[in-house]
Amino acid sequence: MKTCIACGMPMQKPADFAGGDMTKDYCIYCARPDGTMQSFAEKRAGMIRFLQETQGMEKAAAAEIAEASMRKLPAWQAQFRKGAAADGDAE
Amino acid sequence: METTRLQQKQQTRQKILAAAYRVYAQKGFSAPTAAIAKEAGVSHGSIFAHFASQAQLVEALLEQFGTQLGAGLHDLAENNADLQGLLRAHLALLARHEQFYLHLITEKGQLPPQAKLTFANLQSVAAYHFGRVLQHTAAAQNGVPPYMLFNTWMGLVHYYLMNKELFSPDAPLLPRYTDELVHTFLTLAQIGEEQK
Ligand SMILES: [Zn+2]
Repeated sequence: MKTCIACGMPMQKPADFAGGDMTKDYCIYCARPDGTMQSFAEKRAGMIRFLQETQGMEKAAAAEIAEASMRKLPAWQAQFRKGAAADGDAE
Repeated sequence: METTRLQQKQQTRQKILAAAYRVYAQKGFSAPTAAIAKEAGVSHGSIFAHFASQAQLVEALLEQFGTQLGAGLHDLAENNADLQGLLRAHLALLARHEQFYLHLITEKGQLPPQAKLTFANLQSVAAYHFGRVLQHTAAAQNGVPPYMLFNTWMGLVHYYLMNKELFSPDAPLLPRYTDELVHTFLTLAQIGEEQK
């Protein structure tokens, strides 16, 4: 079974994949409306929002967890090597 | 030849992880690595041939546990569209790991950072699937945010687990309290349903 390179979600059925395309390595939630994969900053902001909405977390705590999760995912390895995690902190 | 050796190495590693799961479930995460070696039937040194430190062993175990339980949560959500089914399936899944899970939630403050992340990831998977169902409850329609309903459910379950000695000192707690916990939460979530 494939897991999304950008968020780690297991992808089983076509509807889980970006654009319903099972050859894609990222999921429907990590795709932009035009089908391309979200940027690091977009995904980070999205994960923080998700944690706040589904679990009521405080923002800084949510950011810490979002980054710790992203650090393990294949899509963001270059960003962490560059030490770019803090760049997403805008807003 | 090389593959066989590699397979053997993998098997020993798996054996150590399985033994660590059983020992930690029984004694908590402060159990010594010597007890794990004994349970696995390997020499004490063998543990450190596979894991650089006890912290690394704990991290590997939690990562494996998180992946397994996360996949279980994902599956049960796909197969349980209604709230009662989801709550029951959730407790049935946690019940399979009751002792280990209890040590994880009570001791995670003293565990390596990976433990915090494993727990957070598990909560995220559960919160996402619960949120989809909880948003349709009467409580949510009446203005209680779905995250608050999810946190209420987790709070209830964890309170019972963390005070196991008061509620079920000699037997597994979750099988014993599933009906009562599910009924209570369902009733709360559905208050106000008639007025709609
Ligand atoms: Zn994704």
